[in-house]
Amino acid sequence: MRRLIAPAVVAACLAPAGALAQSAAVEIVQSVGASTESVTSAAVQVRGLVDAGRGLRGVVEGSWADRSRDVGDVFGTAYPYGGKADVIEAYAEWGRTGNGLRAVRGGRYRTPFGLASASDHAYIGFLRAPLIRYANYWALSSGYLEHGVDVLAGVSRVSIELSASKPADVGAAIRRDGSPTLTGRAEVVAGPAVVGVSRIDTTPYAPARFASGRSRFTGIDVRVMTGGVQVRGEWLEGQPFAGRTTTGGYLDLIVHTRRMDRVTALGRVEKLDYPAPSSFALFTKRAIAAVRVRTWQGAAVSLGVSHQAGQQTQRRRTAIDVGMTWVLRQDRSRSTR
Amino acid sequence: MWLESPAAAAAPGRSTAVLDQRNMQFAPRVLAVRVGTTVRMPNSDRLFHNVFSFRDGKVFDLGLYPVGTSKTVTFDRPGVSRIFCNIHPAMAAYVVSVDSPLFAVTDGQGRFEMPGVPPGAHAYHVWRAGAPQASGTLTLAADPIEIDLP
Repeated sequence: MRRLIAPAVVAACLAPAGALAQSAAVEIVQSVGASTESVTSAAVQVRGLVDAGRGLRGVVEGSWADRSRDVGDVFGTAYPYGGKADVIEAYAEWGRTGNGLRAVRGGRYRTPFGLASASDHAYIGFLRAPLIRYANYWALSSGYLEHGVDVLAGVSRVSIELSASKPADVGAAIRRDGSPTLTGRAEVVAGPAVVGVSRIDTTPYAPARFASGRSRFTGIDVRVMTGGVQVRGEWLEGQPFAGRTTTGGYLDLIVHTRRMDRVTALGRVEKLDYPAPSSFALFTKRAIAAVRVRTWQGAAVSLGVSHQAGQQTQRRRTAIDVGMTWVLRQDRSRSTR
Repeated sequence: MWLESPAAAAAPGRSTAVLDQRNMQFAPRVLAVRVGTTVRMPNSDRLFHNVFSFRDGKVFDLGLYPVGTSKTVTFDRPGVSRIFCNIHPAMAAYVVSVDSPLFAVTDGQGRFEMPGVPPGAHAYHVWRAGAPQASGTLTLAADPIEIDLP
């Protein structure tokens, strides 16, 4: 039985103007998966979110994930599957979005190149990271993390983000120490389209005797959404180290219309070219058709079929992956004068 | 919770309200508005959200929008709209649109204040997530009232 209590006497609003909002939340994201590539997986991410008011926020995210076999790139969305716990992000951020967009982030955060947010890779329903985001394919690993300072400035429809940092990666691709990593990104919102251009100058992740010089990439990313249909993609090219090039990208079609309600249909085509002598070279193309179904609040089931041409990064040319993710979340908030 | 108010129903209502997206959640989780209210839905996170409501109440899909931008929805009919983000499955909120200026949202203990209610008998309605809507009649006097719900 629930009881509602109301004073009959008319009173002023309880929330005073200018109150300082404070809130905190803990979110636990759990997932399990299985693939016809004879791989099963389990993963947990724990995320703490604190909003201290006056534009000051903090984020801490830890991750543990493991797979039955360390082959291929299935389930390697945005978190490493090394069987150990890692701190993924831990930063404080101040920001304001009134007349102009300003934010400063300091601490440990994902490399702000292209569609880098975990939301873009880990939530929408794909069970494999794009080829250009996988740790071992000579592009930009989704396990790249930075220790540094990130500054965002602009207005709501045009913004520039700059980051100066040291690499602090997790997963299989760990960049060497060296000169600071510089990352820049410009983003323009025009109607239903969001277009970004990114540039990174960092250290390679392979040993110096094999990969000399710097790792430098330029990328463009586009997101367009209208009528429940989203097209998004990234393309990048550059050098993973001196004397070698990597080019590649992906194009996603994400459909979620009113008739589909709980169902989101996904499609992806992608390619990666890493011309190199001997067995290190990699020329591959992949197509993925997938569906994500929101089951109950905070839970979703994803099913994906991937087919690969060119050199193999999967064990089989065609693979079926299925995964389930559910989120537990506890929020606390209070207002102080 | 809202009270029936035939006399006030035709009068213009509150024009704007805010349903924020912050820390990968909607705030507030339950927003009560009067029919005709335009709800602003800013994105206060540094990642994209895709706010939509496809079931009961107001049907809309706001598409993607980045930090610092905001979109609006006018709730022009009474009813409950379930609001989700298609990127973050844990994000959910309710917008309860009522045809009355006399409404309030309870706190965690079930308490609420409703300014401007004239003394006397009033028909009330209570909406709760996951439970049937409750209705009844209450009589306001000088003391606080209590309403027990099954």
